[in-house]
Amino acid sequence: MESSALARFDAVVLPHLDAAYTLARYLTRNAHDAEDVVQDACLRALKYFDGFRGEAGTSARAWLLTIVRNTAHSWHKQHRTDGLAVEFDEREHSPAVTNRQPEARETLGRALDRLAPEFREVIVLRELQGLSYKEISDVTAVPIGTVMSRLSRARARLQEALREEEVR
Amino acid sequence: MTPTHANLEAQLDAYLDGELAAGDARALETHLAECPECVRFRDRRLELRAAILTGIPTFQAPAALRERVQAAARANARRRFTMQTVWRPLALAASLAVVAFGSWTLALQRAAGETLADDVLSSHIRSLMPGHLTDVLSSDQHTVKPWFNGRLDFSPAVYDFAGRGYPLLGGRIDYVGGRPVAALVYGRRQHMINVFVWPAARGPTGGPERRTRQGYHELHWTTGEYTYWVVSDLGLAELQDFAQLLRQADSTAGAPAARPGV
Repeated sequence: MESSALARFDAVVLPHLDAAYTLARYLTRNAHDAEDVVQDACLRALKYFDGFRGEAGTSARAWLLTIVRNTAHSWHKQHRTDGLAVEFDEREHSPAVTNRQPEARETLGRALDRLAPEFREVIVLRELQGLSYKEISDVTAVPIGTVMSRLSRARARLQEALREEEVR
Repeated sequence: MTPTHANLEAQLDAYLDGELAAGDARALETHLAECPECVRFRDRRLELRAAILTGIPTFQAPAALRERVQAAARANARRRFTMQTVWRPLALAASLAVVAFGSWTLALQRAAGETLADDVLSSHIRSLMPGHLTDVLSSDQHTVKPWFNGRLDFSPAVYDFAGRGYPLLGGRIDYVGGRPVAALVYGRRQHMINVFVWPAARGPTGGPERRTRQGYHELHWTTGEYTYWVVSDLGLAELQDFAQLLRQADSTAGAPAARPGV
């Protein structure tokens, strides 16, 4: 990478670091792993950056989030098979338990954590990062119709969680 | 057409997301005008959307992470830039300068020291890329040490400090300062420690020199035989503790005079 490419990397990729970290946080459900995943993902992004031309329809953010997502998934696989990583019960250690927060936040945040990863990621990509269905379909490598039905099912579950809390 | 309620939910979601094709959107609006159930559904979705906005936070990447990523990008750029455009002409210029002006030598040595430290740092960062950490993956020092035989013109000392919380993870060959070097990888919790070793060009130096760049610490010293660089994002105190272990192990096990013929 030459210095002009470095400037381009800085301008194109770094502005999306918060988005990358947010996605990683929700996929790993843990601040420390999220940092590692994002760092790994950025090193991969650096490696493949020469190949990223920003063609029509490929936003830099969607491109970076794709790498973050894939990195998080391969991490998850590694950590489940290598036995080095002790399974960590996020709900036990969730900041929501120790910090007093509004109830809606606690409920929704926990409900999101409990969703299966394929539902969790579409919610984060759509609701927190405002990606289009097309972009989400690129990032998650599923057809747009699947994005649509996953989003709808994920929302239905979150809504259920909210309603249960109101009933209580 | 009258959409069925089963696929209406997904359609309504897409409609609220502004992702429904114009024709479908018009049909849905017509249906909404005459279906109170769907209107309630839409209203609950709008409530959910508001609740998500206030209830599910986005996060800011920690400053240290941002710095590490920037450091990696810079190391990557500098490395390629140095290799391609600067280093070869500079080497030629340096060799001429050494002959011509003795006073330049010192300055160049200092610059070379910095370049070496940068080199070591970028090797460390590169090693953290998936699949780059180790060529020989073993926590057994008696597997790792022989692996270097025939791959390097020296045999680095390999220890296992698992008992002290720094397990050996493996080793690899790396290219630093214009020569192949041994890189030994030790772990500490989730942190990686890279130990770069190669035969010393000059005599031993005193206590470790220390440098910190973008969240990584580098410790450097030279024994009678070897030049050592130790790099990690581990806390400085722990890294110094590790370096101390390494130096002790070297001084007790490695002294060639004590083990003639080895």
